[in-house]
Amino acid sequence: MPVNLVDLGVIYGIKENDGVVDVDLTFTAMGCPASEFILEDVRERLLREDGIREVRVNVVWNPPWTVARMTEAGRDALEAWGLAV
Amino acid sequence: MERMASPAEFDQMIKSGELIESPNEMTPEYLRELKHTLVVSGDTELISAPAYYLAAKRAPSINAFMTGIAIIQDELAHAHIAYHILEDLGEDQEALIFSRDPKSFRYPYAFDVPLDSWTELVVANGMYDQAGFCLLGDIHEKCSYGPWKRGLNKVMAEENFHLRNGRTWMKRISQAGGSAKEELQRAVDWMFPLSVEWFGLPDSLKMHSTQLEFRLKGLTNDQLRQWWLSLVVPYCEQIGIKVPSHKETRDGKDVWELDYPFPCEFDAAEKRWDFKQPISWDDVLVRWRERGPRNAEMVAMFQEEFHKFRKAHHQNGARR
Repeated sequence: MPVNLVDLGVIYGIKENDGVVDVDLTFTAMGCPASEFILEDVRERLLREDGIREVRVNVVWNPPWTVARMTEAGRDALEAWGLAV
Repeated sequence: MERMASPAEFDQMIKSGELIESPNEMTPEYLRELKHTLVVSGDTELISAPAYYLAAKRAPSINAFMTGIAIIQDELAHAHIAYHILEDLGEDQEALIFSRDPKSFRYPYAFDVPLDSWTELVVANGMYDQAGFCLLGDIHEKCSYGPWKRGLNKVMAEENFHLRNGRTWMKRISQAGGSAKEELQRAVDWMFPLSVEWFGLPDSLKMHSTQLEFRLKGLTNDQLRQWWLSLVVPYCEQIGIKVPSHKETRDGKDVWELDYPFPCEFDAAEKRWDFKQPISWDDVLVRWRERGPRNAEMVAMFQEEFHKFRKAHHQNGARR
């Protein structure tokens, strides 16, 4: 999908402390078939930042994701792609 | 109703890049070739479902299994797009899927060789789906039949996801090293040449292509094969997996050469190529026509259930 995770509204929080990043993240559905890729992408991308040596991704389900969590840019991107949001 | 174009007018429509939108506009030859091409596409997508399912059952985690199942669901939808268009062209979708002899299905021979592990499944996603991506991407871009061209929008987006699964897992397994990487290399060793074969006769033996003439596709077999090699060979090398092909530069152009006689002998039961045993394309066509080990089993997977269901349904109906 042509939309990033932040605009999709699935990143709930991110903290960095001494090179260790904690990410709170949810999925749009429990059976998300892309979950493995997403977790790996997040880890891989953050490790590319200077000074980051560890990435901990916490999958959270509360509060649940809804389309209301998307940014304007995310909505536009999905609509341009043909999805009604 | 529109007047049917004369063959010369029709030819001009195709050449000028116009899209054909309905059977009324087609010549009988175009209709026949379009149907044949759609059957190959529909059959290929359909058969990939049982082929992938039998291997997805061996997924190493529930998340991986869900990805596998999502891919199978995509493939069934892709098959449905092709069969649905065939129905609009006067074919019977139900008969095409459920009443044909297994040997008459027109999908690449590669799917007849069993995928027996998660590793083989992800190599199929990385190589077979890449072949499908090249073939369908070309049709998506060039096809003169409007409904199919538009139907492929969804297909192309989803094929990307399948490729992603294949590539991500191939990289992960290769990085794990040891016996996992050896198993990956063994899978690539038999699946790579099968994928190369997927694109069919070399251009030197196939002088005339009706599909190209009608702009049902845009690239020749060898051009498609080169495109596939240019995507798969560098990726395998990048993740430390050996493939029997290398790049040469000729007249300033990259050409991918195979490091084995093409075509050559394949033992499907042993999943082993004999690179010392070149064969002719006639021999390959015989192997393709006879189909491989899993053909009947896979077709039975969807046909038997359909007929069982129909029988039960009719019995219940009669009792009421």
